[in-house]
Amino acid sequence: MKRKELTILCLVLVVAWLSGCATTETTQKPYRLSQQGTVIWEDEFEFMPPPPDWKLLRVEASENDINFGFMRQDPGGYPSITTFAYDEEPFGCGTKFEQREKEFFKRFLFNAIIQFQILERKKVQVVGGEGLAVTVEGKDPIKKEKVRAKVVFGKRGDRVVGFYITQWRTMDGIYDLSAFEIFDKFVTSFKFLKKSFYETL
Amino acid sequence: MEGHQRNLSLYERFNARVLGVSRDDTITLKYFAKSLDLTFPLLSNVTAFLGVSFYIQPEGQPIFGRRTVVIDKKGIIRYVRDGSPDYKDILLFLKKLNQEGGRP
Repeated sequence: MKRKELTILCLVLVVAWLSGCATTETTQKPYRLSQQGTVIWEDEFEFMPPPPDWKLLRVEASENDINFGFMRQDPGGYPSITTFAYDEEPFGCGTKFEQREKEFFKRFLFNAIIQFQILERKKVQVVGGEGLAVTVEGKDPIKKEKVRAKVVFGKRGDRVVGFYITQWRTMDGIYDLSAFEIFDKFVTSFKFLKKSFYETL
Repeated sequence: MEGHQRNLSLYERFNARVLGVSRDDTITLKYFAKSLDLTFPLLSNVTAFLGVSFYIQPEGQPIFGRRTVVIDKKGIIRYVRDGSPDYKDILLFLKKLNQEGGRP
């Protein structure tokens, strides 16, 4: 009799455990598609997604982590990869673009230990206001790798937000600038659908 | 730390001040603050008595555990969270505390 009770208890535990797993499987996606072909992300952002060969990249938001982005493995093997993202809290603290740019590039790709050369810096219109776009290239002579990146700073309320794309190549590799055009479309199409947490505080 | 720096004006609005405490010496903290452009005070507690008082000094280790503590104007600890700071949670708590009149 005791043995039967034990078996029933074990079954209940197994069923409970399995139903716990099922719950995580049915987690809802954080986005939906609009009739215009744009993505509505958590009812907070709207943007034009990249073509289907780009994979969604999402890192759990915490200090200095990106909110979400996209990545594409490029031909040529490692390190040929392109990644772009929206970042609600880009490196740095300044609320003026020029100040934030300096703070940002102190820490951007800091694990790679590369020096950036600015290729272009210009004012742009982004998320309904003025912004700053900075295109850079960095080289790592030890690993024989290089990276081309573009960072666009914009404003959400009083705070600076950022968009960035990085494209890694071997030192003699050729950049694919069409990826930067896809990034530009993503940035240009990006809209805030509601006020940020900080604006409503 | 950068998150706190970004939120300084909001802390000000809620009558709160932020302090960082670590076991590093003052010279190290000076360079750390400069590297991150921090303008709020960082306190050096090399002897670790603050860490012991707040139960964040792991035995035999030279650093504090990471903990966020909010102390009200009466000196009462009102909020404790371990790990990376949850900045939005901290701001919501400070807003509530300020509305209650229990200024941090």
